[in-house]
Amino acid sequence: MLRIRNLRKTFTLHTIDGRTVVSLDGVDLDVAAGEHVALAGPSGAGKSSLLRCVYRSYLPDAGSVSLDGVELTTLPDRAMARLRGRELGYVSQFLSAPPRTGPLEVVAASARRRGLDRDAAREAAAVALRAVGLEEALWDVDCGVLSGGERQRINLAAGTVAPPRLLLLDEPVSALDPANRELALSRIAGLAASGVAVLAVFHDAEAISRLATRVVELTAGRVIRTGPALEVAS
Amino acid sequence: MITELLSEIDDSAGRAGLLDDGARREIRRATLTAVCVPGYQVPFGSREMPVARGWGSGGLQVTLAVIGEPDTVKVIDQGDDAGVNATNLRRMIAGTEGCEESTDSRDATVIQTRHRVPEQPLTAEHVLVLQVPVPEPLRGVERSTAECDRMHAEGDYAAIWVSLYEDLVRNGVITRSTGYPVLVDGRYVMATTPIPRWDVPRLHRSPHLSLFGAGREKRIYAVPPDTDVEPLTFDDVPFEVEGGHEQQCALCGSSDTFLVEGGGGRTICSDTEWCARVAEGDADLEAHAKQAPLHLLPDPARRVRTAAPVTLVARPEPARRPVVSAAEWTLQVAGLGKVHGLGGADAVAGTGPEHGTAISPTTGAIVAAWDVGFDVAPGEAVGLIGESGSGKSTVLRCLVGEESPTAGVLHLAAVDAGATDLFTLDAAARRKLRVDVLGYVQQDPSAGLSLNVSAGGNIAERLTAAGWRSYHAIRQRAAELLDRVEVPLSRMDDPVKTFSGGMRQRVQIAKALATDPALLLLDEPTTGLDASVAAGVLDLLRGLLAERDVAAVVVSHDFAVIETLTERAVVMQLGRVVEHGLTDQLFADPHHPYTQRLVAAARR
Repeated sequence: MLRIRNLRKTFTLHTIDGRTVVSLDGVDLDVAAGEHVALAGPSGAGKSSLLRCVYRSYLPDAGSVSLDGVELTTLPDRAMARLRGRELGYVSQFLSAPPRTGPLEVVAASARRRGLDRDAAREAAAVALRAVGLEEALWDVDCGVLSGGERQRINLAAGTVAPPRLLLLDEPVSALDPANRELALSRIAGLAASGVAVLAVFHDAEAISRLATRVVELTAGRVIRTGPALEVAS
Repeated sequence: MITELLSEIDDSAGRAGLLDDGARREIRRATLTAVCVPGYQVPFGSREMPVARGWGSGGLQVTLAVIGEPDTVKVIDQGDDAGVNATNLRRMIAGTEGCEESTDSRDATVIQTRHRVPEQPLTAEHVLVLQVPVPEPLRGVERSTAECDRMHAEGDYAAIWVSLYEDLVRNGVITRSTGYPVLVDGRYVMATTPIPRWDVPRLHRSPHLSLFGAGREKRIYAVPPDTDVEPLTFDDVPFEVEGGHEQQCALCGSSDTFLVEGGGGRTICSDTEWCARVAEGDADLEAHAKQAPLHLLPDPARRVRTAAPVTLVARPEPARRPVVSAAEWTLQVAGLGKVHGLGGADAVAGTGPEHGTAISPTTGAIVAAWDVGFDVAPGEAVGLIGESGSGKSTVLRCLVGEESPTAGVLHLAAVDAGATDLFTLDAAARRKLRVDVLGYVQQDPSAGLSLNVSAGGNIAERLTAAGWRSYHAIRQRAAELLDRVEVPLSRMDDPVKTFSGGMRQRVQIAKALATDPALLLLDEPTTGLDASVAAGVLDLLRGLLAERDVAAVVVSHDFAVIETLTERAVVMQLGRVVEHGLTDQLFADPHHPYTQRLVAAARR
């Protein structure tokens, strides 16, 4: 489903001295439907950059990212914006919701972008929020005043409601306590089981070994190892 | 035929009188033009008359120009033939022009009047000349005469409709008495000064010719026989004449004439000739009763205050706009350029980000924008970001039609299915688009609103311009819009000048959305507001854009506004587009040095 070939990303820092920083140095990667691919590697290896290049928050310099044969790196902005709603989801470590909105509204808006009508979106949002264990009393409270863990769960709910075909997860459970982490991980496990292709970054080996069907290890913007989860984690 | 008519007029003008031949000819020509274009105010070279300006000098000039020896003149002042002014004018006209004079409307062929149309039914033999104090019906709503002329030329009478709406809101009735505005022949709005509302129906498809002369204001206008004269009023608010059902004249007993205070608590006819003849039994009462506007007397049951006040049912979801054309975009602009100063396109060389200046090294012209292009799809919001002076507002003003660009093309899917380049249209056509295709929200609400008009009235301006003519429907729509932008209904009838900045901006947004435009242009919509108020307006705009299929262009120097409202954005510097992309990509991975500086500045 997702096919990445020779992907390169370099940043030019004009505000400092115009120096360049290489982030991805020719990455090849494939993710099939129902597959959960985990990215591993040290900080600065390019794991998050890779997700963002797929989502086009970063514009790659060279190489190819194609989703079911559609080339994403050169797709017009408007087409990319549309694709993001229904085909492609991105869950970052931190919630980026519009200011002064509550969890239910945030998650329902996400569901509406994925094609649900207003009532169905609210229902799906309620189901998603329950699944990540967010108390109903908080559903209409401004997300800005909620705790880091609550915000992360809202983010995960918004990313996984009416799931897209490809989901990019960037440390989606980093701020959760054990009980909530358990709920979140089982929600993520359910995605791949239902046929969603998942490309994820986790900072702990336990989550990887539990969820991933395959692990790709990056160092300095290159893939150095790939294989079944257990093999790489050990 | 007109030329023949003119030469005939000129030939017959060679007689002695108060007016010399040249003056008579000019006034006759102006009068003929006025007859040819019913309701249109024809300027003329008003002469000094042996009466003071404002005392009927305009009417007198028209009378002197059209009258001849075979005519009989009658002059009425305040409904009276015997007043000093009326008597002296009548004697002077008869004495200088050699015509007959009379006080009997049946004998007269030219009747000069102030205040009244005679009660005696008039015929095709009569010419009625009215002395006009204020000929401009728009005077009360627009101070600039140039703007009044434009409104007449474009048939843009929303302002006068708003004044009627405001009158109804404030007083429950339309209080305007003399000078009631009428639409003549379906084209020009005309002031029916100096006659009362009672006489206005007498002008509609009348057998006689009415000529209006304003000496001080140097205007002549006319209502030819058999011409439609419709008083302006909302479809669901009946036009009313003055008076009540129970009154009658203390002298002649008539109850179907225009009655005025006669002293001592009595009411009497305002037409002494008719009153006397009724008393003598020398009047065709049957013919008079047929023309009397008794069916237009006030009917309290039909007044607006008796109607149920505006209430809101559940807020309906806005109608999704059907796709007008196969085009992907609602708006498409390409190659847009605006150069202030000499040289046009030749001045562009040597300007732009790579040269670090917007000032042309060759001509000194300012290149405010050059080669700007983007398109916006239905339901999509595109941001235009850049620091002050980057040209973003210039681009928006060109899109709105407030400025004409030096170069470029602009297409809207709603106009000819996108086939027409809007930059080739004239100012009048562009202004029309702003009524129902374009919604425009400006940084300063006072620029987009009439501050002395109520919140509802400001919305009514847009609706009446778009052809809405039902008072109650306008109020209902205004109430729904104000509710949507969270302005309390209790403030709907308060003048906008009593509103806070944030409330004014909300009213401006409601007005922009009044006709469900396909395209919304927002120019720094939150910039003039303090932080908490700006946040509220931003939330409102986000909600409005999410629930509608409207295409939006948002201009702001504030990355937070652009990030909240738009999916795609264009970055401008020194009049050029330096970068464009998905808004989050511009924020997370800015490429151009200028964008990187903007992003760094936005991270506080």
